Formats: sequence, structure tokens, C-alpha cells
Amino acid sequence: MSVFSVENKTILITGASSGIGAETARLLAENGATLVLSGRNKEKLNEVLQQLPTQEHQVISADLTHEEELEALVAQCPNLDGIVHSAGIVRPFPVKFIGHKQINQLFSINYSGPTVLTGRLFRTKKINAGASIVFMSSISSKFPHKGGALYSGTKAALNSFSKTIALEYASQRIRSNVISAAMVKTPLFDEAQKAISKEMMDKHGEQYPLGFGTPEDISNTMLFLLSDASRWITGTEIVMDGGLTAGQ
Amino acid sequence: MDINTFIEKLEVEFEELEQGTLKPDTNFRNIDEWSSMYALIIIALIDTEYEVVVTGEDLSKIETVQELYDLVKLRLN
Ligand SMILES: NC(=O)c1ccc[n+]([C@@H]2O[C@H](COP(=O)([O-])OP(=O)(O)OC[C@H]3O[C@@H](n4cnc5c(N)ncnc54)[C@H](OP(=O)(O)O)[C@@H]3O)[C@@H](O)[C@H]2O)c1
Repeated sequence: MSVFSVENKTILITGASSGIGAETARLLAENGATLVLSGRNKEKLNEVLQQLPTQEHQVISADLTHEEELEALVAQCPNLDGIVHSAGIVRPFPVKFIGHKQINQLFSINYSGPTVLTGRLFRTKKINAGASIVFMSSISSKFPHKGGALYSGTKAALNSFSKTIALEYASQRIRSNVISAAMVKTPLFDEAQKAISKEMMDKHGEQYPLGFGTPEDISNTMLFLLSDASRWITGTEIVMDGGLTAGQ
Repeated sequence: MDINTFIEKLEVEFEELEQGTLKPDTNFRNIDEWSSMYALIIIALIDTEYEVVVTGEDLSKIETVQELYDLVKLRLN
């Protein structure tokens, strides 16, 4: 078996109903992983499930901002060799409109969801020795944009959380990393483009030496990080931005 | 809510815009200072002030201040 394989690994994917999470599900399943697909939208999760080569996977829907639903997901989850944290939203708020409500809106799903879920899975001993955990983060955690104070804050906080896992669980050879992506063409991209107009998005795209990313670009790196080929990589960040920040 | 107070609220938030620039038939995209920030401010203002959700997609479909006002009013009811 290739060291780049994820055969016989059981992997939980949040945000599996759309975009990067859905594409990661396809690639990991093709490479032999057994998956737990999570998200709120059961129908879309089942659609993703049906496209997988075999059906020995499960769908467990949960709203990660609801304590009981998160607990139910943890309770139903099998023991895991990997977690892909892809659930997340983008809501731009100019600084002068930030209040507790807006902070809660973004942090509850982008930060509290993945952190509490991971903590509960550790506490209930569902994360196997040698497991790999990957969080979807963003280059905006280091290079913020107008309106992005809260979004980039959630991602910066996730980066620190991931490093802490790397330190606390190295003795069990459990690894934790983040992928810091620039714009990737997913439904989230489409929404952002509608908000700021296509012209402005095209102009932004001209700054990418390799153009905008695709979900496949990200899932390839997910596969590597979840496989044992990356066994000496932990507590770090893989920047995937098509060269956007190379000159900065 | 009437369109005049709505316009006043918008103008207060668009900091670089001279008061009195916006009229009901003003096309947003023709405002000299129009930038991605303006779209973000419109969405956030309507959310915090009226608790109405306007998406980027909604904005892409409308052009004038009047159309925006009508949309907010419709969603308020
Ligand atoms: N696309 C980009 O340009 C880009 C760049 C950098 C980082 N990222 C990050 O990558 C991740 C995936 O993004 P994407 O582009 O694939 O977005 P997407 O297509 O909008 O998918 C987001 C996923 O999050 C799930 N989700 C949202 N709220 C949830 C909640 N309350 N509980 C449980 N699940 C929830 C959604 O599932 P349901 O609707 O079924 O709940 C959906 O599957 C996000 O964390 C995003 O911040 C994206």
C-alpha cells in the first residue's frame, strides 16, 4: 500500500455537503477511506454520498452551532483516523457594524463549532493514535481585507487552536494542520462575487499568478495531509493561494 | 420608514459621499466613490438597522436607491 493512501482510514468531514468538503469526500473515498459526512443539509449530504464509488460511508447531519446536535454527532461517530474541518461561512462586516451578534454569528460556526467538536471527540477517545486533523483556514488570517475583520479573526484563532493540538497530542502521533487558502471556486466564492460584483472579483483574480483555486486543488492537499506521507508535518500551515502572496 | 429617512441613513454611512448626492433614482454603480466597501456597508446597515437580510445576489439584481428601498420594505412585511 502506498504511503500516500488513506485506505482503511475512517475520516470525518464537516461541511461535506458543499464545495471543498464535498470534493474532499470524493477524493478520499476514491482512495479507499471510509467516511462520515456531516453538514446541516441531509439531502445534499446524501447526494454527495451517492456519488461516492462505494456506499460504506455514513451521513450524520448536525448543525455545529447547536450543542445537542454536536453532541449527537460525537455520540454517533465511530473512532476516527482523520478529521477534515471544512464547515464555515463568510459574512463581511465593516468594522463600524460589528457587535456581539455579528461576532457570535461568525465565531459560533467558524471557531466554536470545530474547536468544541474536536475537544469532545478527544474527550470521548474517538480520535485514534496517529490520526491527522486538518482545518480549512484562509490567507486572510494573515492578510485581512476590508469587511473581513471577523472572518479573518475566526481563521487566525483556528490556526492557534491547531498548533495547540499539535503540541498536546504529539505523544500519540496525532497531527494537526491548517490549509490557508485564497479564493477557491465554490458556492462560497459565487456568493462573495455577487456581493462585490464580478468586475471586482475578476480584478482580484488578476493578482493570482496561477489564477483562482478549484476544490480539486484543495482536496489533493487534504489527501496528502490525511495520509501517512505527511507523518512529520504537524502544527503548521500549508498556504494554497496560486502565488497570490508570493511577492508580499 | 420612508424613502427620505432611508436615504439619510445611507448617506451617513457612506463617509466619503457628499450629503444630498443620493436620490431615489440614483444608480449605485454610477456613484464616483462606489467600491466593494459600499456594497458591504449597505448589507450590514440593512441587517443592523432593519434586521432584513439582503444578499450580494440581491444587490447584483438592483440598480437604484428606490429599488433597494422597495426590496427592504417588501422584506419588512
Ligand atoms: N472558497 C474559498 O474561497 C475559501 C477560501 C479559504 C477558506 N475557505 C474555507 O473553506 C471551508 C469550506 O468552504 P467552501 O468554499 O467549500 O464553502 P461552502 O461551499 O459554502 O461550504 C460550506 C459548508 O459548511 C457547512 N456549514 C455551514 N454552516 C454550518 C453549520 N452551522 N453547521 C454545520 N455545517 C455548516 C455547509 O453545510 P450545510 O449548509 O449543509 O450545513 C457547507 O457544507 C470554509 O471553512 C471556508 O471558510 C474557503
